[in-house]
Amino acid sequence: MVSDEVLRTHLQELRRGTIVVASLVALRRPDYGYALLQRLAAHGFAVDANTLYPLLRRLEDQGLLTSEWNTDESRPRKFYRTSADGETVLTRLLDDLSAVQASITQLIEGAGR
Amino acid sequence: MSSLTDRYVAATLRTVPAPRRTELAEELRASIADMIDDRTAGGQDHASAEREVLTEMGRPEQLAARYSDRTLQLIGPRYYLVWWGVLRMLLTWIPALAGTATGLVTATVGDEPGRAIGAAISVAFQTAVQVAFWVTLSFAVLERAQAPLGLPEWTVDQLPEETGDRQISQPDSCASVVFLLGTIAVLVGQHFQRWSTDDGSRLPVLDPALWSFWLPALIAVLVATIGLEVAKYRARRWTWPLVAVNAVLNLAFAAPVVWLLLTDRMLNPELIDRFAWLREGGADDVARIAVVVTVVIAVWDVVDSVVKARRAAR
Repeated sequence: MVSDEVLRTHLQELRRGTIVVASLVALRRPDYGYALLQRLAAHGFAVDANTLYPLLRRLEDQGLLTSEWNTDESRPRKFYRTSADGETVLTRLLDDLSAVQASITQLIEGAGR
Repeated sequence: MSSLTDRYVAATLRTVPAPRRTELAEELRASIADMIDDRTAGGQDHASAEREVLTEMGRPEQLAARYSDRTLQLIGPRYYLVWWGVLRMLLTWIPALAGTATGLVTATVGDEPGRAIGAAISVAFQTAVQVAFWVTLSFAVLERAQAPLGLPEWTVDQLPEETGDRQISQPDSCASVVFLLGTIAVLVGQHFQRWSTDDGSRLPVLDPALWSFWLPALIAVLVATIGLEVAKYRARRWTWPLVAVNAVLNLAFAAPVVWLLLTDRMLNPELIDRFAWLREGGADDVARIAVVVTVVIAVWDVVDSVVKARRAAR
């Protein structure tokens, strides 16, 4: 029997890259850090706050996200949105993700025979 | 704004580059406040919600490192193998050289081999610590500077010649040689670094009369044994000639030692006179135990070499 620790590590590895993809998709609709965290969690992407917040800033530095301060509400919040560059990168990432999925499917079918 | 959050934000910002601080502080505060609000809306009191949220955010230094893309390691995988290679190469030679040089110089200046050996060990140790520190510090700086070293790529030509068919390993041989050198040092050292007696005078443990022939002879056998270790290492395994030489050398060492012990010529008679327990039969007990230990070691060593030679011949 495989230990939970081993399984957890592999799942973590598998999920790591998908957080970026999920964030870029979700931020087609502008949102601030904690709201995005909750939206991702609601869709099954459990990500730690101390991972997501720095990630958002890194994506912004890379030009994949743009940001804007919203001061309409009582608490000023920084809203992120996927930029044009972010959209380009996202398209490539999504293509790759489906390519991986297709390859896995092929492999499974091939192995079954 | 409550003080725990203030302290958390301040601790995080401390290690974040200055230009980003103000904006990051505001965003971090808002995010933490959002998380606390979410919990208090569920009926939790503010203080415990705040503690929980900050605990979830984790160590401020770690969060700051994630914000500024900093590595939380002294030497990462990029430089680790180079660091280890350099360190190992330097530690193999430099401390031993420094120690030997110091030992030789001290021995020529003073007339106490014991002090020379002590100085050599101390200098070798200090040199090793210094080498390890400075090499590690240099690589830690490189790691942070992210400087490309421009080192050549690994190629198959760098593969070691060895494939594991070696029966005699380098650490084993080194340990044997060090042990033999240590034994010689003890034989020589006991004459100078003497046992202190009750009245304050110092006496050699072994009979000084043995220096006329037997001690030099035993030391010669030990030196020859070092030669055997080297030959064995080069041969990579036990061979029958090596077994024969090993047996002869063991006999050449053990037989005189046993004979000297049994005929009461080994220990310094003056020393025996000084100690009541040695006079009253203690010296015989010491001799008997020493004989047994000597014989057991010699026999075990010879049997071991025969077993290994047979295994290697197969």
